Amino acid sequence: MSSPTIEYDDVQGLVLRGYRVDYARHFILRILNPTATGDFLLALLSGSGSLPTITSAARITPKPSSFLNVSFSSSGLRRMGLSEHELTTFDPSFYKGSTDPAVAQNIGDVGESAPEHWIGGLNNGDQVHLVLSLWVRDSLERVDSISSQLRAAFGSALHELHFHDANALPDSQVHFGYRDNISQPNIKGQPPGKHPAPDHQELVETGEFLLGYPNQSGGTYTVQPQELSRNSSYAAFRILEQDVKAFETLLETWAKQLNMDKEMVAAKICGRWRNGNPLVLSPEQQCPELPRSELNNFTYITGNSETDDTLGFKCPLGSHIRRNNPRNQAVVGTDANHHRILRRAMPYGTAYNPEAPDTEQRGLVGYFINASIQNQFEFLTKEWDLGSHFVKSAVGPQGSDQGNAVFNISGEDVFLGINHESKSCFTIPGPGKIGKGNRHVTGFGRTITTRGGIYCFFPSISGIKYLAHRAKDQT
Amino acid sequence: MASPLSLMMPVLPGTTLSSLLSTLTAAQPSIDKALATIGTVHYARFLLLDRSSPNLLPNLADENSPSETLIISVITNYDGDFDKYIFDFVAQLGGVFDALLAHVIGGDQLIPVANNVQAFLAFILANDASQQLPNKGSGYEAYPQTVQQILAAFT
Repeated sequence: MSSPTIEYDDVQGLVLRGYRVDYARHFILRILNPTATGDFLLALLSGSGSLPTITSAARITPKPSSFLNVSFSSSGLRRMGLSEHELTTFDPSFYKGSTDPAVAQNIGDVGESAPEHWIGGLNNGDQVHLVLSLWVRDSLERVDSISSQLRAAFGSALHELHFHDANALPDSQVHFGYRDNISQPNIKGQPPGKHPAPDHQELVETGEFLLGYPNQSGGTYTVQPQELSRNSSYAAFRILEQDVKAFETLLETWAKQLNMDKEMVAAKICGRWRNGNPLVLSPEQQCPELPRSELNNFTYITGNSETDDTLGFKCPLGSHIRRNNPRNQAVVGTDANHHRILRRAMPYGTAYNPEAPDTEQRGLVGYFINASIQNQFEFLTKEWDLGSHFVKSAVGPQGSDQGNAVFNISGEDVFLGINHESKSCFTIPGPGKIGKGNRHVTGFGRTITTRGGIYCFFPSISGIKYLAHRAKDQT
Repeated sequence: MASPLSLMMPVLPGTTLSSLLSTLTAAQPSIDKALATIGTVHYARFLLLDRSSPNLLPNLADENSPSETLIISVITNYDGDFDKYIFDFVAQLGGVFDALLAHVIGGDQLIPVANNVQAFLAFILANDASQQLPNKGSGYEAYPQTVQQILAAFT
């Protein structure tokens, strides 16, 4: 299929563009007065009263120093006046919401990560209506000054339940020390310009990230009313707390158990060394950081004995990047291209200093974007992170004596799995029939805890205007 | 534990057995290829039944006569959660589902399935004898392994 033409000025910016910024502030809001909320949204669209304007995906020159986008939970859309029938035409998981027990259970938000423990009022999903996110390039002062303008405008319309700040760490790092944000899907019709590092993967159908365009399953995601059914999208907003001390301890424990260098352990868990170099391209040692044009330019199945990694001897099948994007590896169902997500997340909290340990909360906050929460975010979390049965039988170029992919993965993703200590397992593949050459680590726990989640709907720019008027027209 | 699917779909009155056979024969190569790619289905078969026949089996001698009482049945055992893989099944078999549903009562509401995924799921649930009482929960399996584990053990 050829690439569709996307109306960039009607799409909210973060769906099609990664904002290169140093700070973000996410306001979690409850609608007090739908009419006043409608007025507030209209003011954000026009920039009246010197309020910041909502950022579209159109190219803006000169580059702005701040960006603003808005999304709604299903409770929020209900409050804005959508009927129950209309809401049932939306993604079924979005409709139920992040705090629904079946939804939470399905994606591993259980135990300490369960919604009942969430912060900032996010545990009470019915009251979480809007997420207003501000990204700012290089000035915390600007974050605060724009926040003051926004907060003055919340007025009687919106109650601020919580705000969550994010701040970039040096070298695009996240708190576990890895360089992040290397790989993103390339979408048919996306704006030209800076792209994520090129890779072998096919372009993804537009409809996997925007409603109203063809998706990978041969259909088009739509909702009622039709005004919300094009150039819109969904996301899972997540606040993920990272226990850096526990993770470093895990690395040291595994290093001893496996008699392996600690940085190699970190690489095996992730699939990339902490400097971002992929194991597939640098299997034995970290090596100097590859240029951006090469960092992502690899795949797993090549058919060539030098470069092939069907069996995961270089990059374990259970590693984080391989689970969440199997690339051209055979998986049950269809393939990686049918279940991609866009990641727009940043660290929060100061960098952990092992010389001066603290109990400050730190982690990752942001959006995982897709046009189907069920078939993308939830699918890869449940099928690829929380289990190991998704791998198809496959042998490498040297035949079945070296093993089979099916036997070379176990347990759950080290970062995103539930990982009960009595059940957790990670496989380091090694040559041998039926997994006889593999090594395993067991008995480890969860180092990332969900502290909040919201399933969000990003209307198009015209959709925001439509919603504002729906809210104002309610009697 | 593999799950059973025993889908029973009443056919539109006036349909002939021969037209159903023709649709199934044309679809079989796509079905086989798709199921191998999907990789979670242990076994799959279609049964054409006639609820007016004493033993429910259709009479081939009448294959060109319009019937009021035909049924298309799909019988499988599959790994994992069918509803979680519904989009993948639709991606691989959407055209086949549309061709079959064109013969089925209520099927026209679901075509194309790629744009009616939730309704299609609801239809399957309602018509899957193995997900409804009194048949729900019954079944024997000789082994707990998945399709892929079996294939890997014998490759």
